Amino acid sequence: MERMKRFKRRLSLTLRGSQTIDESLSELAEQMTIEENSSKDSEPIVRNGRPPSSHSMHSFLHQYTGSFKKPPLRRPHSVIGGSLGSFMAMPRNGSRLDIVHENLKMGSDGESDQASGTSSDEVQSPTGVCLRNRNHRRISMEDLNKRLSLPADIRIPDGYLEKLQLSSPPFDQPLSRRSRRASLSEIGFGKLETYIKLDKLGEGTYATVFKGRSKLTDNLVALKEIRLEHEEGAPCTAIREVSLLKDLKHANIVTLHDIVHTDKSLTLVFEYLDKDLKQYMDDCGNIMSMHNVKIFLFQILRGLAYCHKRKVLHRDLKPQNLLINERGELKLADFGLARAKSVPTKTYSNEVVTLWYRPPDVLLGSSEYSTQIDMWGVGCIFYEMAAGRPLFPGSTVEDELHLIFRLLGTPTEDSWPGISSIEEFKSYNFPKYKPQPFINHAPRLDTEGIELLLSFLRYESKKRISADESMKQPYFKSLGMRVQTLQENISIFTLKEVQLQRDPGYRNSSYPETGNSKNRRQSMLF
Amino acid sequence: MELLCLEMDTIVRARPDPNLLYDDRVLQSLLTIEERFLPQCSYFKCIQKDIQPFMRRMVATWMLEVCEEQKCEEEVFPLAMNYLDRFLAVVPTRKCNLQLLGAVCMFLASKLKETRPLTAEKLCIYTDNSIRPQELLEWELVVLGKLKWNLAAVTPNDFIEHIMRKLPLPEDKLDLIRKHVQTFIALCATDFNFAMSPPSMIATGSVAAAICGLQLNSTNRSLWGDNLTELLAKITNTEVDVLKECQEQIERVLMNNLREGRRQQQKQQQQEQGGPRSKALDDQDQSSTPTDVRDINL
Repeated sequence: MERMKRFKRRLSLTLRGSQTIDESLSELAEQMTIEENSSKDSEPIVRNGRPPSSHSMHSFLHQYTGSFKKPPLRRPHSVIGGSLGSFMAMPRNGSRLDIVHENLKMGSDGESDQASGTSSDEVQSPTGVCLRNRNHRRISMEDLNKRLSLPADIRIPDGYLEKLQLSSPPFDQPLSRRSRRASLSEIGFGKLETYIKLDKLGEGTYATVFKGRSKLTDNLVALKEIRLEHEEGAPCTAIREVSLLKDLKHANIVTLHDIVHTDKSLTLVFEYLDKDLKQYMDDCGNIMSMHNVKIFLFQILRGLAYCHKRKVLHRDLKPQNLLINERGELKLADFGLARAKSVPTKTYSNEVVTLWYRPPDVLLGSSEYSTQIDMWGVGCIFYEMAAGRPLFPGSTVEDELHLIFRLLGTPTEDSWPGISSIEEFKSYNFPKYKPQPFINHAPRLDTEGIELLLSFLRYESKKRISADESMKQPYFKSLGMRVQTLQENISIFTLKEVQLQRDPGYRNSSYPETGNSKNRRQSMLF
Repeated sequence: MELLCLEMDTIVRARPDPNLLYDDRVLQSLLTIEERFLPQCSYFKCIQKDIQPFMRRMVATWMLEVCEEQKCEEEVFPLAMNYLDRFLAVVPTRKCNLQLLGAVCMFLASKLKETRPLTAEKLCIYTDNSIRPQELLEWELVVLGKLKWNLAAVTPNDFIEHIMRKLPLPEDKLDLIRKHVQTFIALCATDFNFAMSPPSMIATGSVAAAICGLQLNSTNRSLWGDNLTELLAKITNTEVDVLKECQEQIERVLMNNLREGRRQQQKQQQQEQGGPRSKALDDQDQSSTPTDVRDINL
């Protein structure tokens, strides 16, 4: 009790202390107003509207009074060692020391991200070429592309080269970041007029997506046009999608080429992929080659394992968000609902995943989900590819749960510890279904496939297999060992052993025929 | 018993996810990318003419208070300071715009991290309406552009769990340690001398300072002075010397803050109470400050 009193007393002192901060702030404000006498800048710099009422930092500081046994070290300036000096600036006894590790190598800050995702570290003078004809060199397209790390197929606007000959710094020196940025924008990055808007592809909750063409590369692009809100500026979804995607450089994640912002809208320029998995499955009459199912699933997992490693959840996996190009490369798209997962975080909104791909714990109101939310969805998509129909196409939450329980069995304390204390679950009062053997529902899946499928579809979220783990399962053994060690930005189709097969139900296939009639016979269903 | 007052945390949170916390791939990836998000230079020397270090400190303190009062996620404040430093390292800014910049940085950091982000209106009120929402939104686009939309920066907070789980810490003290580490990290973010340090080092130094401050090292041999430093240095691939310096630096910053806080408090008490009673208050002040930080763990 005595202790409590002491704390309360200290607390009240701490709280009263809040005025000191206001005082010092207004002092500062005065100071600056005096310094800055011009009429325009006379706004004081820091104003404190509502003085904060709680001061956890202050109370914290109090706790530490006298807690450090040793007195703060006082060492003369000269003691700063080499390695140390290069790492940190240490002020001694309050004296300010501003020299900070200038010799520390700065990583790319994404400077060059506007140009098709190559790191700015690659921006170097093409010295090898320069040595040969240093004197009267013409600047070629090749030089320019190298220097700006542009896509190889880019088209530079007419006149730009001539202009560069006149005004640019000598070409055998590295570009400064600033001049590089200027060059990029002169070429047309970050400008709306660089992209021709074609058909509308779809409309989402916060954006409209158009097919477009880049005047720079003549390539197709996807233009995601985001309206800027009047009240709150750039929407969180856009901020999350862009800042996360800029960090995600992976062969199975859609590439963000460019960002164009005007006062009214924000346009994200993505690489264009022909179709999404939904269309793909439709186009082959919902009968995919089982080999292709494996290749697609592996690519989903590869992209997802990379996201999870970077602490990003997708949270909205569905066939419509998985894009596929002619080569069969599958890429995760639409990260609007994704967000960096710094643990612990607040509850996410319940309205995240399309019902069909939503795990039962989330359907029952749990908001404590993490990477496992994506894994349930992977299971549903896996089944859908293999069986040609959605696994749990529920129309309401109850319907969705009902479908899940009818197949996997109504959960019990054994199959899902803690289930009986979830009020939601009790109130639905589901019939007690027994789990059904999966083989009857997905006859085309082999034992290893079914095993993997079931490890995605665990009731208890923490028992669900992780993306990284699932790539190592026996089901994928037939893809060979090399897919496991592939570099992040390399497509699995660079490996000879990984090739798409003709999908049995596909009319007018665009995939090269293997010319092997055996293949066609293989496409018979069980 | 809820101590340190009024801090009820009823928010539902994700369970610790082993795929994110106990996977060394995540830690390695954090260590690889963290330097991408450091400011490019020590900007008081080479970029800023108008803005002085003390102004950064004042704005930082104000930002911390707003974040604390709005009960923002712990990483919002360090993240906002990261944006502020990175912006100032690139764009010469007038001091009359510094608070506006601070507000924009909180706006962006909370949009990235919070379930319910800070609103533009609220932030303007916190500046005593010295900035208009319109300005905030305009500057938002400027800051986004200058930071090239690279907002998902690594913060020291990202490392806390990865470091703590590798230390032999007493189970019952974990929350307390975490809280102290977070506060040290926030403290570092207010101090410009840490602006260019890799987040992993700030995190490691903060963990070390918290363990020493809480004197947990007196109970466990492996947490003794050099043992602890070596253990920590290994976890985040930091050099032992550098780490030691960092810890000492953090402790110095803390001492300075404590001294400053005490001075201001005493000054205020004297002003409030007048002469004769001030001595009694001093006594009270002394008795109310625990001499041993372990006391606070009731």
